[in-house]
Amino acid sequence: MRAYITKRLLIAVVTLVGMSMVIFFLMRLAPGNIVDILFESAGYVDQADKKTLERELGVDRPLVVQYVRWLGELAHGELGKSYRYDMPAWKIIKPRLPVTLELAGFALLFSILLGVPFGVLSAVHQDRPLDYVLRVLSLAGLSMPAFWLGMVVILIFVRSLGWMPSVMYVSPFVDLKANLWQFVVPALAVGYRSSALIMRITRSAMLEVLREDYIRTAWAKGQRRTLVVWRHALKNASLPVITVIGIEFAFLIGGLVVTETVFNLPGVARYLVDAIQLRDYPVVQNLTMFIAIVVVFANLTVDLLYAWADPRIKYEKA
Amino acid sequence: MSLRRFVRFASLVAVLLLVMTLPAPAQAPKYGGVLTLHPLTAPPSLSPHEESTIATVQQVSPCYSNLVYFDPAKKQESPDTIIPELAEKWSWQDNYRNLVFLLRRDVKWHDGKPLTSKDVKHTFDMVRGAADADAKLRINPRKLWYENVEAIEAPDPHTVVFRLKRPQPSLLLLLASGYSPIYPAHVPLADLKTTCVGTGPYKLKEYRPGEFVEYVKNPDYFIKGRPYLDGVKWVYIKDRSTQIAALQSGQLDVAGSGWNKANAETAKKGKAELIVVENNSNVNDNVLVNGKRAPLTDPRVRRAVNLALDRKAYLVGPRLGAATFGGAMQPRPSGVWGLPDAEVATLPGMGDPAKQKAEARKLLAEAGFGPNNPMKLTVSTRALAIYVDTASWMVDQLRQVGIDAVLEQIETGVWHPKMTRLDFQVALNLTGTAVDDPDAMFFENYRCGSQRNFSGYCSEEIDRLMVEQSQTLDRAKRLKIVNDIDRKLQAEGARPILGWAKQYAVYWPRVKAFPQHENSIFNTSRFQDVWLDK
Repeated sequence: MRAYITKRLLIAVVTLVGMSMVIFFLMRLAPGNIVDILFESAGYVDQADKKTLERELGVDRPLVVQYVRWLGELAHGELGKSYRYDMPAWKIIKPRLPVTLELAGFALLFSILLGVPFGVLSAVHQDRPLDYVLRVLSLAGLSMPAFWLGMVVILIFVRSLGWMPSVMYVSPFVDLKANLWQFVVPALAVGYRSSALIMRITRSAMLEVLREDYIRTAWAKGQRRTLVVWRHALKNASLPVITVIGIEFAFLIGGLVVTETVFNLPGVARYLVDAIQLRDYPVVQNLTMFIAIVVVFANLTVDLLYAWADPRIKYEKA
Repeated sequence: MSLRRFVRFASLVAVLLLVMTLPAPAQAPKYGGVLTLHPLTAPPSLSPHEESTIATVQQVSPCYSNLVYFDPAKKQESPDTIIPELAEKWSWQDNYRNLVFLLRRDVKWHDGKPLTSKDVKHTFDMVRGAADADAKLRINPRKLWYENVEAIEAPDPHTVVFRLKRPQPSLLLLLASGYSPIYPAHVPLADLKTTCVGTGPYKLKEYRPGEFVEYVKNPDYFIKGRPYLDGVKWVYIKDRSTQIAALQSGQLDVAGSGWNKANAETAKKGKAELIVVENNSNVNDNVLVNGKRAPLTDPRVRRAVNLALDRKAYLVGPRLGAATFGGAMQPRPSGVWGLPDAEVATLPGMGDPAKQKAEARKLLAEAGFGPNNPMKLTVSTRALAIYVDTASWMVDQLRQVGIDAVLEQIETGVWHPKMTRLDFQVALNLTGTAVDDPDAMFFENYRCGSQRNFSGYCSEEIDRLMVEQSQTLDRAKRLKIVNDIDRKLQAEGARPILGWAKQYAVYWPRVKAFPQHENSIFNTSRFQDVWLDK
């Protein structure tokens, strides 16, 4: 197991170095640069001032030099300075991380709480009215974008109750109740979409497992229905479900842009888009690297969870 | 009824009628509450001298003070509505060559240090890029405003003298703009990008880039009894629908920055008690015609493009009926320097659309373009909805005269560099000036070689007239020269103006004394007189 984790960690490092190159050089391929954008907000471009500023920000150096400098800074735990706001990038990123993590966490929780039981019920009641209802619900979840659903929910709240979740972020350490109210609606909107996917995967995996001989044997032995379905069948059907949950979590960390915008939550995803538009390289590079790290480690965690879910999976060489 | 009883009854009725027709007594302002608003966009920094966006000016104005400012209670900004702020008095001397300010003696910076004339000298030496300035702005968008200032002197701690190369009465208006706050000389310039040490009615509490700017009341504000509010909070809400919902749910007191008529009406439809105020603004939609690139080098083609754009269709189309027509200067009566209405009605694009389009086709034919050889034209614009709507309409109008027009959307980050390089054929642009004054509008946008003269228009005669109007002291004579310049600019199609957009403020009735000006959106956010009736 240890050798496997070490190997996976080494692969993760190589993946992240590759990612860093893609992130760094793709950013530079986009038209326009930070100096143009700084002058853009001033409404004019002065060539002499532009050169001075390029020198000041270090963007006049060869790309390879800039790249190596960035990696060096990362290795020392420094995230550089936001070109746009002229302040440490970490200071901008830090308050946004808990917002996105909380939203993604809640959304994932809702998606598992809804998706797995409904998937199981749908499989157990295959081709019966409950199965059809749940399949329609899951199809609706996949078809409705989370931001649209969120907007509709906001409109219903505002029109009928004159209330909507706070448009100003409330920290859980300041007011836990208000914080939960603020996150429950967007998390449900996002979680519904993810739950639909999880439900469909759970359903198909369960259908496969429920036709296995050992399940038939368990039924024949008169085992309790809940025990057969929820312990024997679900555990063995959980491999693809765990995979999907891992992928969804990774997706949620970087894919909440529109939901954060609609609910005005100051998370990393929304800010990443702003930073890309502003060509704020240090912020974009570091945020994207953060997302890449989450994706890599989410995949690693999923792989490790396989062993828990299915004891037949061995990581050591035979 | 006896005569006596009739007289008594009639008197009673008269008194009742009088009472009913009397204006309601003005409500006494109340103290307390936090005013919550959404800005047009998040500010790129908190340093107005380094930015050219309303977002920064709007959101830092509660923190700073100017020497002079425009009266928030007056609808129109003009030399007559300038009120003292840090300057107690001012006077022009030496035939408008020297402008002398006497500063208040009771003003403290938010960090407790006293304001002196050194701060004023520091600020404007820096902005005009003086060789001996004690700090240099990294980006200095308004250097041009002060190029006529020869020197700034601070003979004693409470006197400042602006020495000018030639008379320039408009300097006072430029100093009254939200873009002209006084910076503290003792605070490093770089710090002012993320913090605010001012002398204004509110002190910065917290600034989170891209999220919010929050202020609390300055108890040492130099105007006694002000401000009324405990604080001001600007909350950046990117999504328009969320802005509307936040206003309707009462989380915002005021909204409307950047809203069009449809947005304001939607908000009002949801909450009938909301107050919607429509104002004229000093932002115009204009067409940049690159006269240095074929086929637009031909004046007939340039005129054809101008004539093809039917201004009345622009009003009902992209502007949804919310705009006014005019030349380079904001139209009267909300603007001070606009062309007379009768003349505006005769500008290219304002006449009978069928006739104008026929004339445009004729001009194109003379220039060698027709159905068998259609002119190909790219209409460039910024990839922002407010630009794209009008640019798409332009493409349709140009196609109606046989021009094979296509739309090119340019990302914001490369828009100005592209415009500066004249790397376009025709472009749709929005231009707003901080003050409704010819010096601010003409020098920046029409002078030969100016950084923001994006159409590359250049006329020695116009340049000469610009300087002449700038130093003309008699306002009537100056208006005549300004109108002459505007007339020539429109006749030559230097930068055809489609129209001047209207702006909207939507707020709850509890918000009182919310300032709105008809000829600038830049100079109203000090908020020292605003109060909440809660």
